[in-house]
Amino acid sequence: MKFEEDNPQRITSAEIVVGIPSLNEAATISFPVQQSDRGLTKYYSGKTSVIVNVDNHSPDGTHKAFMETSTATPKIYISTDEGVTGKGNNLRNLFQKALELEAKAVIVIDADLKSMSPIWIRNLAEPLFDDYDFVAPLYIRHKYDVTVTNSIAYPLTRALYGRRVRQPIGGDVGFSNQVARSFAESRIWDEAIAHFGIDVWMTTNAVKSHGSIIQSFMGRPKVHKIRDIDSQVGLIFEDVVGTIFELMLHFESFWKEVKWSRPTGVYGFGLGDIEVPPPVNLDTHGLWEKFVSGVKQRWDIYSAVLERDNLIKLEEVMDIPAMGFEFPAGLWTKLVYDFAVAYKHGLRNRGELVRSLIPLHYGKTLSFVLETEAMNNQQVEEYIEDQCLQFEKTKPYLLDRWGSS
Amino acid sequence: MPKILIVDDEEGIRMLYSMELQDEGYEIITLPDGNGLLEVLEKQRPDCVIMDIKMKEFSGLDLLQQIRKRYYDLPVILNSAYSSFKVDLKSVAADYYVVKSSDLTELKEKLRLALEARIPQDMSDRS
Repeated sequence: MKFEEDNPQRITSAEIVVGIPSLNEAATISFPVQQSDRGLTKYYSGKTSVIVNVDNHSPDGTHKAFMETSTATPKIYISTDEGVTGKGNNLRNLFQKALELEAKAVIVIDADLKSMSPIWIRNLAEPLFDDYDFVAPLYIRHKYDVTVTNSIAYPLTRALYGRRVRQPIGGDVGFSNQVARSFAESRIWDEAIAHFGIDVWMTTNAVKSHGSIIQSFMGRPKVHKIRDIDSQVGLIFEDVVGTIFELMLHFESFWKEVKWSRPTGVYGFGLGDIEVPPPVNLDTHGLWEKFVSGVKQRWDIYSAVLERDNLIKLEEVMDIPAMGFEFPAGLWTKLVYDFAVAYKHGLRNRGELVRSLIPLHYGKTLSFVLETEAMNNQQVEEYIEDQCLQFEKTKPYLLDRWGSS
Repeated sequence: MPKILIVDDEEGIRMLYSMELQDEGYEIITLPDGNGLLEVLEKQRPDCVIMDIKMKEFSGLDLLQQIRKRYYDLPVILNSAYSSFKVDLKSVAADYYVVKSSDLTELKEKLRLALEARIPQDMSDRS
């Protein structure tokens, strides 16, 4: 991909590259840049490093805000062409730049992070100097944060690829030069991956490449800029699930051979102080309304995509009032698998198919909120573990419906 | 016949698990604590480890970290009388965490899943 570059210190090599993807983050980018600089200075003063802002040609002055942030670490600004957006497009530029710089460790940090501390740099980089290839983040998150991760991204990628990476779309990751090369050379690329699908694309590729993967505990909860949750969840869901379904087509010979799942270790730092994540409030009545109206609106698609028994069970669930609503895990799993099969066969426009899953996701989220209302974080983790096992146990159903390629 | 290593400081537990799991067709070896654990893993090459957490001089969670450094993919089931260790993130590296019970149904089920788990080597993709 073509990009324009501002490299005032003419940096041509760096052992550690911290990449910060952005689109209109002028107001927020200075904080993660400063924290990254402190982390690099404190923990890696003996290594060469650079902070790279990979931007989508932001018109809000992100470039200026980045360059004017005072740091001891040199900085490079890179941008896609005007009009080209997407986190994935930015990271693709980062992969290429990291290879040019012959980086040994590449760290990706979100530009709108408010809770990052310098230790995040060490926690994401250190395992890479200890022969791990890919470092996924582990945060303590509020039970109602990251509903896309909990309801579908984690259980589905775990059941498909057999490796338990708790935050497959976490965003803040580390990877080796070898992995950067495999990312840069991958021919699997589409619009969803070029946007929010990039995180699950990276995790899936790392898992499938059978390199050594580790999780690293970040200590502080992930807190970032508040966006319009409604529109954001829809966009993230579409890109993430679209990417997972697309990768299922490419990696079919791999995931069909996977049975059950294996853990991914946590790198051996002390846990330090664990902070309580800020609360996330979800509008349960709004979720129920979006579930019911969305399903009614798309009933023709469900009739074409879902197995008859599943369609009947979905009708039953539609009759349950908001108070006491429940979306059985077994049904949710089969619906997701039905949609994956429909995606494979191109039963409808693929974007439309993935968007049609969103009302069901709202229903599943409502059920999750009601069932876990009185649970603490550990109990919620056990609940999610049960959901994941449901995806693993139901995999023969997927294999049966998927058929041969 | 899959070989299972049981690490537990309670003799009664080691005996009970040995009898029950031998009846299921497993070959059993036991250790009373973490002493010599890595040597046993190297020499005996078990297919799965069932390990207590709270032992007199050892923490099963620390032993799990040592195991993971050398045997990235060896199945390990943590087996404790306490569920409270689940909050420790070190336990994430275990295949399963089973709270001790006189009914071994769950332990046997998780042992079966751990032994059946399969992730293939990378295969070239279609594109």
